[in-house]
This record gives sequence, structure tokens and C-alpha cells, in this order.
Amino acid sequence: MLLSRHDLHALTGAYALDALDTEAERERFSRHLRRCQSCAGEVRGLREVATALAFAAAAEPPAGLREQVIAAADRTRQLPPEVVRRRRMGIWWPAIPWRLWLPRLATVTAVVAVVAAVVLGITLSGTEQRLNTERAESQGVAAVLAAPDVRTVSGPVGTGGIATVVLSASKGELVVSTNGLAALPAGKVYQLWLIGPPAVRSAGLLPAAVAGRTEPVLASGLVVGDKLGLTVEPAGGTRQPTTTPILLLSLPAGT
Amino acid sequence: MCRMDQTDPGKPELASVPPPEDGGPDLNQLLRLVARGDKGAFEQVYDQLARPAYGVIRRVLRDPAQSEEVAQDVLLEVWRTASRFDPAMGSAATWVLTIAHRRAIDRVRAEAAAVGREQKAAWVGPAPLDEVADAVEASLDRERIQRCLGGLTQVQRESITLAYYGGYTYRQVAALVGVTLAAIKTRIRDGMIRMRDCLGVS
Repeated sequence: MLLSRHDLHALTGAYALDALDTEAERERFSRHLRRCQSCAGEVRGLREVATALAFAAAAEPPAGLREQVIAAADRTRQLPPEVVRRRRMGIWWPAIPWRLWLPRLATVTAVVAVVAAVVLGITLSGTEQRLNTERAESQGVAAVLAAPDVRTVSGPVGTGGIATVVLSASKGELVVSTNGLAALPAGKVYQLWLIGPPAVRSAGLLPAAVAGRTEPVLASGLVVGDKLGLTVEPAGGTRQPTTTPILLLSLPAGT
Repeated sequence: MCRMDQTDPGKPELASVPPPEDGGPDLNQLLRLVARGDKGAFEQVYDQLARPAYGVIRRVLRDPAQSEEVAQDVLLEVWRTASRFDPAMGSAATWVLTIAHRRAIDRVRAEAAAVGREQKAAWVGPAPLDEVADAVEASLDRERIQRCLGGLTQVQRESITLAYYGGYTYRQVAALVGVTLAAIKTRIRDGMIRMRDCLGVS
């Protein structure tokens, strides 16, 4: 479902209330927020309204919750802060063992080439706003590629083609690109999933393939034990998979 | 224990976020301390936000046992991910309560997918606001929110409470209220903006 910019902007209220309709719509709107400063500002204000609604509903938690939470915190390691690394190639490359260079180089080159092609294509044909989105997304992709613990895995898709994942366990982010997937009938879309012990979460929709390849999709929220799944879903995506995965790829847990 | 941390009842200026108590560190500072592993700070964050967090989860989920479970997850998540809180994106209370509401919503939607909750619950309106517990800060906030909600059109009010407390998507709200999708988006947004101005949220 394609929404016009105006329609998107009208969703600030529903977004602030967590009332968007599908995960795909939520993701699309989040992306929109990254390039629409006025929307982001509006959402910030409307989220405070939601907070007020939460305070208005305040209720005494059951006795014992406090002790349980504090005790659980005692047993729980905290996440490190996200450090934005803007490393230059010269610093990054030598840190990689020689034996890992070739496969990594091949994938990274492929992903970078696609990103570059996309950005170039947009520069030539698109509006500045679209360029900004792509730039934000390719920065996200670049950040995964530059992570010190970047890993690459790929696997064959049941119905043909191959999926390649570049991931950083420390950032909890991954970039998925595919090559040679079967074309889908109208009204269907490939949807990625993170399938883990806590839950199955959407990791986004694959864009339409260009010359057999799909543009890299950036997803976050990766946790240890997650596998990457791929299913065919109705256009717009679904909140939970409705078909059998045609790819189930184990992801390395970290360095 | 919790009551000690509530807002000064004489203070009328209660906006969406509780002000820092008697010169102590505010929630933003507390979260920064929590990120460094400060247990005392975490206990203070708990005391300030456990009630609204549990309250909103309870409002959405209804089931007390389930609500307790989700609340525990959420509060532990606050401990675990405190380093990811970014004050530039909104207040600390909003960060925590957004996680709380979203977790409750995720639970509702996962269940809806499984059992067709919409069919069972099509009649459900928001629980009346006075169902809420009687803490001082809640009653102050409640009055103000009630007043602001009272300033909305009926459709705006219904749409916002169904979406937030009912945990419905705007598409489901449109079906419940009987207006088009385009209209519901606008009404929710206009209503929220009016609430924002009424509450004096910056």
C-alpha cells in the first residue's frame, strides 16, 4: 500500500499512540521520521501526550513486583552504550585477519556497490528528500559494515536464489541482500523475520529486485539465538509469518 | 514506599512528566546513573514510573497476572537498556512508558492474531478513567487529562482512548467508530495536538 506524503504526515498521532496497522507501516513511518524533521518534532510532542495518558492510568502494581524487578536486575547484565563509530577505512581494514579478507571483501564490495548504485541513481533522478532517506539508510548500512564484529553468512532460498546477511551482533543490526529470488505474483512480497527464543519479529520487507538483486535491507533488534527467516506474504507484510519460511538461516552469535 | 516519591499535592503544574522531587536528580539524570549500574538510581526510577507503567499495561491487557509479567519485563528492560536512552528524543518518562505501552500492545496484537480478539471485544470501550487508583499524582493528572479530553470532539476522544487504552490500531478504531481511514488518522492527530496544547506539553 503506497501512501502519499500527506497521508504519512497524518499518521503522527496514530504512531505516537502505537496504533499503526502493520509492522511494515510502522517501519515505513519510522524511516519517514528520519528525514522529516517537522514530523519528528510533532511525534515527540504527541508522545508526551501519550505519557500523560499513561500517568492518568497509574495503578499500584502488585506487592512483590518491586523486589522481583530489583532481584532480576541483579542477575541481568546491562547493554553497553551505542558508540557511533565513524571509522575510516585505514583504521578498520588492518583490524581484520587476513584469512577473513576475501569473503568479507566480496560481500562488502557487493553491498557497497548496490548502495552506491542506488544513491547514484537517486542523485540523477530523484528529489533531494529521497536522496536524504537513502543517505540515512546507506549510513545505517555502512555502520553495520564498519562494526568491529561484522560477520557474513549466506544461504540458499528454498524457492531459488540466495540471501546474504552482513551482521554486527554488538550493534544488534543486520543487512540483508538477495540475488536471484523467484519473481512473485502481484500482491505478494518477501518478508524477513528474526526468529528467536523471545519472539518472531518482522525484519522488514524486501524491495522489488532490480536485475535479480534486492537493495540491502537494514534491520535492527537482533539478539543472540535469532535466526533469519524469509516468507512470502501479502503486500504490505504481516505482523507474524503466515507461510512456511523458504529460508531459515542461523546467525552467528558474535565474535 | 511509592507514595513518598509522588508529586507535591499542592503543586498544580502537573504536565505529562512528573517534576523532579525536592531538588533530587530528575529522571533523565537517574537513567544516566542506571546506565552505569547504579542500583539506587534504578530503585528511584522504579518508584517514579512503576505505577504509570503498570497502570497503562493493565489498562491495555486487563488481565492482572499477564500485566504483572509484562510490567516486570518492561522494568527490567529499562535496567538493561538504560544506556540507549537518548534525552534528545524525548523525556525519560516517555522513553519508559513508550516501552511499556508498546510491550502491552505487542502482547495484544500477538493474541489478536491468534484468536481474533477483535470479534470478541468489539464492544469494548475504554475503561472509565475513574477506575484508576487513588494516588495523589494520578488524581491530579487525571483531572487535568479529563479536562483536556473533555475539550475534544467525541470522535477524537473515543478514537484516542480506543487506540491508547484499548490497544487498537487506527484501522480497527475506524471500524469501531464508523469513519473512514483518512478521517480517523486526521481525527486522532487533531485530537492529540489539541491535547498537547491543553496539557502544555512543549
